Amino acid sequence: MASKPFQNRKFIIGALLISAIGVVLAVLPAVIDPYTLRIATGALMWAGLACAWNIVGGYAGYISFGHSAFFGIGAYTTAILMQSDFGASFFVTLIPAIILSMAVAVAIGGPTMRLRGAYFAIATWAFAEMLLQLVTVLDFTGGTAGLSLPAYLNEFFFYYIMLIAAAVSFAGTWMLIEHSRFGFRIKALRDDEPAAESLGIRTNLVKVQAFAISAAITALFGCIYAYWTTYIDPHSVMGPQITDQMVVMVLLGGLGTVWGPALGAVLLWITNRYIWSTFGDTVIYLPILGVIIALVVLFLPNGLISLLIGRQRGKELISSILGKL
Amino acid sequence: MDKEYELDLFLQTLINGILIGGILICLTIGFQLTFGVLHVIDFAVGGWTMLGGYTAYWLVTLAGIEPFISIFLVFALFLLIGRGLGPLIYRVRTSRYARPDLMALAFTFGIFLFMRGGALWLWSYNSRSVESVLSGQFLSLGPVTVPLLRLSAFIMAVLFSLGLFILLYRSRFGMAVRALAQNRDHAGLMGVDVKRISAWVYGIYTGLTASAGVLIATIYSVNPTVGIRYTLFAFFVAVLAGLGSVGGVLVAGLALGLLESYVATYIGARYSLLIVFGTLYLALLVAPKGVLGRGI
Repeated sequence: MASKPFQNRKFIIGALLISAIGVVLAVLPAVIDPYTLRIATGALMWAGLACAWNIVGGYAGYISFGHSAFFGIGAYTTAILMQSDFGASFFVTLIPAIILSMAVAVAIGGPTMRLRGAYFAIATWAFAEMLLQLVTVLDFTGGTAGLSLPAYLNEFFFYYIMLIAAAVSFAGTWMLIEHSRFGFRIKALRDDEPAAESLGIRTNLVKVQAFAISAAITALFGCIYAYWTTYIDPHSVMGPQITDQMVVMVLLGGLGTVWGPALGAVLLWITNRYIWSTFGDTVIYLPILGVIIALVVLFLPNGLISLLIGRQRGKELISSILGKL
Repeated sequence: MDKEYELDLFLQTLINGILIGGILICLTIGFQLTFGVLHVIDFAVGGWTMLGGYTAYWLVTLAGIEPFISIFLVFALFLLIGRGLGPLIYRVRTSRYARPDLMALAFTFGIFLFMRGGALWLWSYNSRSVESVLSGQFLSLGPVTVPLLRLSAFIMAVLFSLGLFILLYRSRFGMAVRALAQNRDHAGLMGVDVKRISAWVYGIYTGLTASAGVLIATIYSVNPTVGIRYTLFAFFVAVLAGLGSVGGVLVAGLALGLLESYVATYIGARYSLLIVFGTLYLALLVAPKGVLGRGI
């Protein structure tokens, strides 16, 4: 499978399916109203974020509670550089944002990824909270007051930018994990880290690479989100609700699967917008997320994707992904 | 600044730190017990604290019950809630999933989201504080003043922790709990009702944590988002003590109380969380298995 990926039947079917969905998404803005377009843009963002989280959380088996830090790094880099003092254009800000997020990911990923399971979850969460506190007390980030960005009110622009970013996130995961040597290394370390090490895989390097890729994609969405909403403050781009949503979306869809995270993200995002339009507020969304995650753990531990591909196969899939205890 | 004033400030900060530390011990000791017996890291720990605080607020405003009396009602109430939830936690933890530890983590994370979101929905972002008869009263001990409220909260925390130790080391129930913590399968073979004991342990933990929430509500205030802070505080103390170590909590709780107190006095209150979380992160990297050892 690794030697000739392009002759693989699964690869061809997947590629056709992805292209078909891509075509539908590309022409979608022409047929929907502006309100629905905004919802679709948000759905693309969360689907992309869920896929990015899944690289570390699902495939490598390291449950990160710190991804809001990278989202925030992206958002703040764009916001600070686009302000009048610098006046950089949007696309220019993406480069430092991605470099910075990858640098942070490498710097903290190396030591943090020596921890396993719950210890890793706690450490990443502590790191994200620390960064949130740091942004709150610094001056150039605007402190608690936040920052405003120059407004660019073109919904089509943001839709297509999100589409490209989501495509990068999704196709990147798909190619990288399912159809490359890198993917085999990740799976090997997830299944049995000491064995992978003994086969000559530099597991620490692979883990940090996965973490950096995941962080870069997350930061990319942070950049776009900041420009899209034109105003950011510490809690809106670095608050725990960013990570919460990513984690719940992936768990609902199916941890460590290609389609699961996107599926979970789109479903939950539509639920979120439905609640918002019905109650005028999304506060009740949080307890619903909580109930969903508890029910998924109790009754559908392999996510919604296991309903589509059969519970038994789903169970085997997730078991192989999360490894033996 | 003259030398005498500096010394007084130092002593005052010391007293404050010790008093906060007592509450943090009460907050974390049940969490450690749960980890020791169920091997579950409960993300919801701060949520129980928050709900305990709100329950005390209700009891004070609706029924006019003094917080230091209502704390026993809160303990009993959350003991039962936790006892009810315990079997579910036990079921997830002992399930045949690929990684039951991560699934249990996700499960308690879901409970935490539910509590945090539910509290936001019910009470919005408003902070509530609980008035006690002791509010605003001080005890002068030479150069330092001790707020009676904090002193009583400290004493309550010590009493609760002491009660737990007596229960653990001087009762049949405690013996069963310790046996369980040693080896679940063997304890089961010796006739310990593993499922029931585990559920009661979870209940005791939620009761203790909610009681800590009452103490926190009388000294500071509660709002729906404080849960995150106290979850991380509990993690901090637990990591420093060594996950599952009940004894280490006594030292680690005091250490965190003192750290927070000194940072707030000498560096600035707005940096205290930054430094606390930064230290937690570093502590995890340096000694993930705990600085003070492990075991029940």
